[in-house]
Amino acid sequence: MPLAGLDGALFAAAIWGLAAAALLPAIPSRLRVLSAIARPLAIARAGALAAVGALGLKGVAPAPLRWWPGLPGDPFTLGVDPLSAPFLLLLGVLAAVSRVGLALHVAFVLALAAVFTARHALLLLVAWEGMTLLSAALVARDTRSARARRAAYVYLVISHIGAAAIGLGLMRLATLAGSFSFSDLAVALGRLPARESSAVVALMSAGFAVKLGLAPLHVWLPLAHPEAEAPVSALLSGAMVKAGLYGLLRFGWQLPGAPPAGWGVTLAVFGLGTALVGALYAVVESDAKRLLAFSTVKHAGLLAMALGIAATLLRNGHVPLAGVALAACFYHAIGHGLAKGLAFLAVGEAVHAAESRDLERLGGLARRLPRLSVATLIATLTLSGLPPLACFAGEWLLFQTLILGLAAGDGSMRLLAPFSGAGLALATALSAAALVKLYGIGFLGRPRSEAAARARPAPAAVEVWLLLLAALGLAWGLASPLAVASLALPISSVIGPGFDAHTLAGFGGLTLSIPPGAFASISPLAVAALIALSVGLVFVWVALRGLHPGVRRAPSWACGVSLDARMQYSPLGFTKPLRLIFSPVLRPERELEILERGSPYFGRKYRFRSGVPPLAERLIFAPMVHAVFWVSTQARRLQAGSLHVYLAYLLVTLVALLMLAR
Amino acid sequence: MSAALALLQPALLVALAPLFSGTIAAIKARLQMRRGAPVWQRYADLARLFRKESILSTDASWLARATPYVVLGASLAVATWVPVLLTSSPMSFAGDLVMTVALLALVRVLQALAALEAGTTFGGMAASRHMALAALAEPALMLSVFTLAIGAGSTDLARISRSVAAAPLAWLSPSHLLALAAMWLVVLSESGRVPVDNPATHLELTMIHEGMVLDYSGRHLALLEWAATVRQMVLFTLVANLFMPWGIAFEPSGAALGIAFIAWTGKLLACGVVVALGESLTAKLRLFRVPEFLGMAFLLSLLALTSDSLLRAP
Repeated sequence: MPLAGLDGALFAAAIWGLAAAALLPAIPSRLRVLSAIARPLAIARAGALAAVGALGLKGVAPAPLRWWPGLPGDPFTLGVDPLSAPFLLLLGVLAAVSRVGLALHVAFVLALAAVFTARHALLLLVAWEGMTLLSAALVARDTRSARARRAAYVYLVISHIGAAAIGLGLMRLATLAGSFSFSDLAVALGRLPARESSAVVALMSAGFAVKLGLAPLHVWLPLAHPEAEAPVSALLSGAMVKAGLYGLLRFGWQLPGAPPAGWGVTLAVFGLGTALVGALYAVVESDAKRLLAFSTVKHAGLLAMALGIAATLLRNGHVPLAGVALAACFYHAIGHGLAKGLAFLAVGEAVHAAESRDLERLGGLARRLPRLSVATLIATLTLSGLPPLACFAGEWLLFQTLILGLAAGDGSMRLLAPFSGAGLALATALSAAALVKLYGIGFLGRPRSEAAARARPAPAAVEVWLLLLAALGLAWGLASPLAVASLALPISSVIGPGFDAHTLAGFGGLTLSIPPGAFASISPLAVAALIALSVGLVFVWVALRGLHPGVRRAPSWACGVSLDARMQYSPLGFTKPLRLIFSPVLRPERELEILERGSPYFGRKYRFRSGVPPLAERLIFAPMVHAVFWVSTQARRLQAGSLHVYLAYLLVTLVALLMLAR
Repeated sequence: MSAALALLQPALLVALAPLFSGTIAAIKARLQMRRGAPVWQRYADLARLFRKESILSTDASWLARATPYVVLGASLAVATWVPVLLTSSPMSFAGDLVMTVALLALVRVLQALAALEAGTTFGGMAASRHMALAALAEPALMLSVFTLAIGAGSTDLARISRSVAAAPLAWLSPSHLLALAAMWLVVLSESGRVPVDNPATHLELTMIHEGMVLDYSGRHLALLEWAATVRQMVLFTLVANLFMPWGIAFEPSGAALGIAFIAWTGKLLACGVVVALGESLTAKLRLFRVPEFLGMAFLLSLLALTSDSLLRAP
């Protein structure tokens, strides 16, 4: 096949090119002319990575890259198979659009690419660790910010717990197999007794779930993602979270014997909880970038839920339905990646222009940054799960599997499906409220600060890239039947030959339909056309009647007093109803202190503080930290400071060891 | 023939929607011993608004201008596949029940955003409440959708309507009746009727829908009001033709369509009477009591689903 040669060349060029770009700062300074062309080259290589991913979706696999690190065993191998292809495509597109430039940033992209393509357990662990460390460095790049340092610290600690779980699982398999290559690991897992193999799979899955940000291990995500710069945030939320999904698919499902019993139900339950937690905290968040990070938590929960439901349906023997759920998972992973990347990039530019991340200090940006606000609006509506945009089609597929799985009526689906359906609807509606807050308070209305009033548009080049990404996201939504069909290879590589995603696309790609006897179909493209047609008709009708075609502009009316930006609803006020309704869960804190009394009825000066402390930290992590401190305080009692006591310890230990080893 | 029918059903919905809204208002006035406005008052209002000048805030962006058109467009798009006289529509490939619900959500989000455009307090207040209550209504709505879809084995509107119509006593099953009750509560909330919102006043501080359109005038306001009546009509038509599809035509023949038209108007009139009665007998709920109301809808729909899976032979 002539394409295969091109594919291999592209793959090698992308990987080695990124490696070279990451090493660029090491070159002596007189050769720095190179750095002028470094960024375009890095972007081109990211593009090459995307092309490799796209070709991988067509089933074209490049020759694997091998490298002998001087260690015993197999050579380090990077290769593309159908499962890594969609993730590579997403990574390449996001890296290209976020215009990778900084060496650290390029190295991060390289590490991610290596995670998605590694065929060697040790290399995977190295790449995984590199991805974590590099992203932590990028998060803590502003070393003067205490918030960024704390975020990086929490991120590193929790990520390493996850990495340890993955490492333990992989090393257990590797010692059994006597080899590091993935195919040997799979054979080794197959030889284990069922009980032990499911324990290994569960251990690794827990590790990957940390990266995916499943509650209650999600706490690092809303801390770390917003602290990085916008292009890095876009990669973290858009692509790195998907590394967790990739790991779950490859080591939780694709290995023989996996997924073990209960894997799917556990994942679905945790996914549902995560989706609700993410959406609920997104609603009460007033920091624009943290709000987006919580929205990532919500979508990560949705992905885990889709994966869990697919596994449950497969265990119950409904292969086609499981395939539909898996299609929802893959399609949504890409759709969310594109939309969230766009959202972080666009909001990042807006936040930069208005000099604050706090929604309380934004506003009025839609009139000042018109092109940027178009991109943000598209991302906002997409992430809210509204038709005819990308995230809706994924949710529709998931709803269909829930309904049909419930109708099939066996086992755990009877309990899982209704609560998943209702929870998903609630999470989607809540995240719509959160995103309305983001765009409505942050971009519409009047500017709430001087800096927001002065905001100037970003350079045209940046805006063009953003609009390009927005167009890609729109296309992914409008052509969702074709998009789902294009993912057929990765889906069947996971679920086997019992399901073909091409069957989901009807009428030559116009409709997305569920074939096995359900007959339900939607067509995002037709809906978009219908809306456009109706808008056109109404427009023509209004114009033909000659009814005051123009619009007069006048200042907003504020009941006779002059309008002040502070009269608008604040982000806090906007979600007050939801905060009150969900107060038993959220437990918001509120403190009002009158500093100076004017009249008996009104104070002259107040101090007001309110916040929603994260429940997971309070209920799970704070007791854990407390317990560690308590244990260490108790352990200090051992240190009496007397030599005799220490000698006695030695004796006791020796005797104990001798008895044990007898 | 089918192309003509494809146009006839949405045209009926769009043309008769203001009449339906006016009829409910007239029945309500009679029940309250008032003379009230004539049933075609809404048409006169719309015509008057279309003739007037449209004013937008100096703070508003392009979104405020586009929203009325897109909102009406989305409502029209839904109207093309809703079963009105005939179960199937040539456009039913484009949307099912989930798509219908989601397009209503699109309308909601756009209106909430447009309400924040002018930078005034009323818009923000209404948008905030609208999004909060919609979030609570959504799970109940989705479980009702589940109950209907499981009965018919599909979320396709035509199939649901046909399967309920084909089994003569199916509508008497407890799951169906419970789902209907849940759906009714959600529809009242979504179309801004009494226990949740008061459609009759601009002055109440608890208003939701009226608050969101407060900063609109002229033809933009006319488009939004018209779209709101179309959505109300669509929602009640869904209740009528999915839960009680009596008399609906399976095939496009003249006599069947005539019967279907009479049945449809009769059912809508009955819905209107029930709504008007409810609005005359009950008061609007305090805002923070509405979650209990919607919680009841959720409970009803959960019971519907549970009784469905209990009573259906495994």
